[in-house]
Amino acid sequence: MDMHEQLRKIQEDALAALESVSDKASLDALRLKLLGKKGELTLLLRSMGQLPAEMRPKAGQMINEVREQLTARMDELDGKIRKIEQEKKLAREAIDVTEPRKHTPLGSMHPISLVQDQLLQVFTGMGFDVVEGPEVEYDHFNFELLNLPKNHPARDAQDTFYIEENIVLRTHTSPVQARTMLTRKPPIRIVCPGRVYRADEVDATHSPVFHQMEGLVIDQDVTMSDLKGTLDAFAKALYGDNVTTRFRPSFFPFTEPSAEVDLTCVNCHGKGCRVCKGTGWIEVLGAGMVNPKVLDMCGIDSQKYSGFAFGVGLERIVMLRYGITDMRALYEGDVRFLSQFRED
Amino acid sequence: MKVPMQWIKQYTDVPVDAKEFQEAMIMHGTGVEGIEDQCEAVQNVVVGKILSVRKHENSDHMVICAVDVGEAEPLQIVTGAPNVHEGDLVPVAKVGAVLPGGVNIKKGKLRGVDSFGMCCSGPEIGVPDYLYPSVGDKGLLVFHEDYAPGSDVRPILGVDDTIVDFEILANRPDCLSVWGVSREAAVTLGTTFRKPDIQFETVPGNMDDFVHIDVQDTDLCPRYCARIIKNVKIGPSPMWMRKALHAAGVRAINNIVDITNYVMLETGHPMHAFELAKVKDKHIIVRRAYEGEKIVTLDGKERDLTTNMLMIADQNNATGIAGVMGGEESEITEETTTVMFEIAAFDRTNIRLTTRALGLRTEASGRFERGVCAATCREAADRACQLVNLLGAGEVIDDVYDCYPQPKVAQTVKASVARINARIGMQVPADEMVRILSSLEMDVSLDGDCLTVVPPAFREDIENEADLSEEVLRIYGYDHIQSTLLRGETAQGTRNVHMQLSDKVHRILSGKGLYEVRCFSFISPKLVDKLGLAAGDPRLNLLKVTNPLGEDTSVMRSTLVPSMLGCVSLNQNRNNESAMLYEISPIFDINGRKEGELPHERSTLCIGAYGSNVDFYTIRDIVMDMLNRFGVDCTVVPGAEPYHHPGRAAKLMADDFCLATVGELHPDAMAAFEITKRTVIAEVNLEKLAQLRTKMGHVRNLPKFPAVTRDIALVMDEATTVGSVLTAIRHAGGALLEQAEMFDIYRGTQLPEGKKSVAFSLVFRNPDRTLSDEDVNPVMKKILDACEHACNATLRL
Repeated sequence: MDMHEQLRKIQEDALAALESVSDKASLDALRLKLLGKKGELTLLLRSMGQLPAEMRPKAGQMINEVREQLTARMDELDGKIRKIEQEKKLAREAIDVTEPRKHTPLGSMHPISLVQDQLLQVFTGMGFDVVEGPEVEYDHFNFELLNLPKNHPARDAQDTFYIEENIVLRTHTSPVQARTMLTRKPPIRIVCPGRVYRADEVDATHSPVFHQMEGLVIDQDVTMSDLKGTLDAFAKALYGDNVTTRFRPSFFPFTEPSAEVDLTCVNCHGKGCRVCKGTGWIEVLGAGMVNPKVLDMCGIDSQKYSGFAFGVGLERIVMLRYGITDMRALYEGDVRFLSQFRED
Repeated sequence: MKVPMQWIKQYTDVPVDAKEFQEAMIMHGTGVEGIEDQCEAVQNVVVGKILSVRKHENSDHMVICAVDVGEAEPLQIVTGAPNVHEGDLVPVAKVGAVLPGGVNIKKGKLRGVDSFGMCCSGPEIGVPDYLYPSVGDKGLLVFHEDYAPGSDVRPILGVDDTIVDFEILANRPDCLSVWGVSREAAVTLGTTFRKPDIQFETVPGNMDDFVHIDVQDTDLCPRYCARIIKNVKIGPSPMWMRKALHAAGVRAINNIVDITNYVMLETGHPMHAFELAKVKDKHIIVRRAYEGEKIVTLDGKERDLTTNMLMIADQNNATGIAGVMGGEESEITEETTTVMFEIAAFDRTNIRLTTRALGLRTEASGRFERGVCAATCREAADRACQLVNLLGAGEVIDDVYDCYPQPKVAQTVKASVARINARIGMQVPADEMVRILSSLEMDVSLDGDCLTVVPPAFREDIENEADLSEEVLRIYGYDHIQSTLLRGETAQGTRNVHMQLSDKVHRILSGKGLYEVRCFSFISPKLVDKLGLAAGDPRLNLLKVTNPLGEDTSVMRSTLVPSMLGCVSLNQNRNNESAMLYEISPIFDINGRKEGELPHERSTLCIGAYGSNVDFYTIRDIVMDMLNRFGVDCTVVPGAEPYHHPGRAAKLMADDFCLATVGELHPDAMAAFEITKRTVIAEVNLEKLAQLRTKMGHVRNLPKFPAVTRDIALVMDEATTVGSVLTAIRHAGGALLEQAEMFDIYRGTQLPEGKKSVAFSLVFRNPDRTLSDEDVNPVMKKILDACEHACNATLRL
């Protein structure tokens, strides 16, 4: 066979072989057979020395052309095979992404903390500082400075736990207001969240330990309409633009005038339902203009300054917000209950 | 306070329905808790005439009646009542009738005989015997008067009113009366309050001939009024009075007693009636109790008195506690012929202290505690006399006893129209203010901006301008309050230091999978005992509540651990597979506290956790991670609380201060708290953490030169802690040692008994150049020497 024929045969055989190659090993074998040290094309190229000198360039060119053609085809096939093999590998590695795994899920704050945090966000945004105070408190701060002298019948509304004659478990967070008024000069804008105590037996809607948040503003020319504006803004921030407040006359020794504040029922939007007992309103806050006697007792000139105060029970907001029917669930710490809460 | 609407309507018109009335009263300052329509409780019950009675064939005790209920045909009704007589008029609940308690009457069959309704007893239709005399539940109510069959029984029996349940605010004791709420209703509805014209006939007589009254302690009894009724004829009071009392929730007894109750409800003045024949020596003395004096009160209990308590007494003994409870001896009976009415005012604080001390509260004492106006005593006494006249219950003697040594002087309040408007944030015209205040029976004069107001005697709550502003606002209408925004400088408000810290703790721990609990701050001292603390432990020093609800809430917590173990126990008992819980709360430390001082409230974090995903290390690392987040470095030192497993507990030390404790629960504590699964409990002093926390400083920029890593395995005694070896390594490694970590512990046959091999990975780096072996080798030697020297840990070959 002359070299031409040999070359053509190699080329034809190789092309035919390539047709049937489908894996990396056969391809590598073929490459070795053609291009390895003792490969057909390698040997052919090496045998070119036997040709007359004038034929060598032409023969070399032909062999190289074939080699390039075959190399290109083999490389192309190599790419395809790699891709197929990678796909096979990926398919083998597939996992069931729906399979559950044991893990520690995220925890959560207590619902009272969640609601308290939300309220504090609203009020700090309106420029109120957050202040806390002791839970075991002097009668003086808890009652007397708030216009509830000893043996005042209004003290009955707040059945009090006593530590000593003049030390109580605070019945509201108002003593924090008194302490603040005694130490800060107006203008004052504060909210005081915290735990409070009243001698109520535990049942679905009562607890001897519960939580309040009170607010206090003292400045020149503060009016009842500022109170309404502030509480309206608070209600809207918490429950949306459709919620408004309704003020009803009431009595608290530390405010004058005083008001019970209702919010549009969040359940029925004011139409009347079971939650609001058909009235369209839910009682949520107590509020009023700070009694000038209280200002004077706390060393603030009631002729120059006026102010308002409000208080809200967090348990009530929490129970309404999350549809909780028994208050006791808030204090017993069952994870099946606690794990349902999350930040909004 | 329940008031029948018809009673209010005697004194003012109510031109609106009950629902509107309720709404209007609430919005103008008189709370209304509810409205009860008596007519709803009883429906379709009529007067029936029993035409015939025949025996029931299948029953010994039942009879079959034909009853005329004013319809074309009589009704056949089967009844088991024992007092069924032809010709009697009885209440008949027809088919479709409603009875109290929501009972619905349907056509029935009683032992085979159809019955088209039910003949009723008094109690079955909500009519007690004192309201309409009958045999009670022993048989049918039989009408004593003639009524047309088919007539509605409700007006006849006095159960056809609408009852308003008022909720009176603490500052308005004057409204604890029909007159008070009627007055408010008139102002609210724009109608007129018709004060009764009190006139009555008297017979001549001399007080001294009947009784000698001596009010010795006028400081506690500012006023004492008495009137004498002679030739008393005790009998039932008329239907209108019984009906009013019944609707107000008061039992009718007899005409004299009913008058005292009626006047109390109407005027707000508690009254007492004495049978004078039984008042010893005709002496009534109002004085403080003697030292060691005792009294048997109407309820049969003997009570110890103190010298601060005011008594009603004869010349020798106390017969009643003034303003609280009368004596048994002088009670009104059927035989009473001469009566003394007492209408007095007592010091409200004193009454309050007396009732507290004796644990004895009555309707009267409740009213005196809230405040009964001395100025209107006489008016109430006269109203009672007027009713005696009206009922023909006796003859009123014209002489009066009225001890009122220091009549209350009407207080004048001056106020500024502008300041009232500034307070309420409105522009109520001055003349409107005058109109409103006058309608509340105040004497008002206006001079420019200045209001001069004299409130009526019964309005003892009106003391200053702020009080007047509330009166103006509530009558003008709270619904007129506008919404305005706060003016003045505003800045973003800030949270206090404690809350800034606790907010972060919440977020770190909830991110780590823990749930917050909130427990009561008071617990049982027994729970603290269960921790097994050593005698002298400061946590055994507990702050006691003097009047707790019960033993289980009687001391303030000195540690959060007992409550947390309570939560853990509850979760385990409810078969919750795992729980990771935390609480942030102050604990109450009274060590070093003197009487009269507040306890130290120390903010504390407690963690309690159990479950397959939790062990000592999980919780230790959560706490350590948290402390690191606050920039606080702690050393873990073995050490257990008494309630910890002695070999599985640590103290986290910040220098010499124990910032936190972590440990597995001791089996004894597990048993004490009924905990069955291994539980880890940790407590962290957040107050100290707040002091130790640091702001984050500058970062370490990434190194430019490579590090050299050397891994070593050290053989040491089992008892040697990895922490102590790491400390030795770090200490010896100096500046060149960038990092030292444990990566493996081997225990097994390759090692001598009681030994373990611990592998460490050490990273060395010089920030300024590449390290060579010559740099590292001496440091390695130093480290190995230190480990051997300090921890008896040798290189494993």
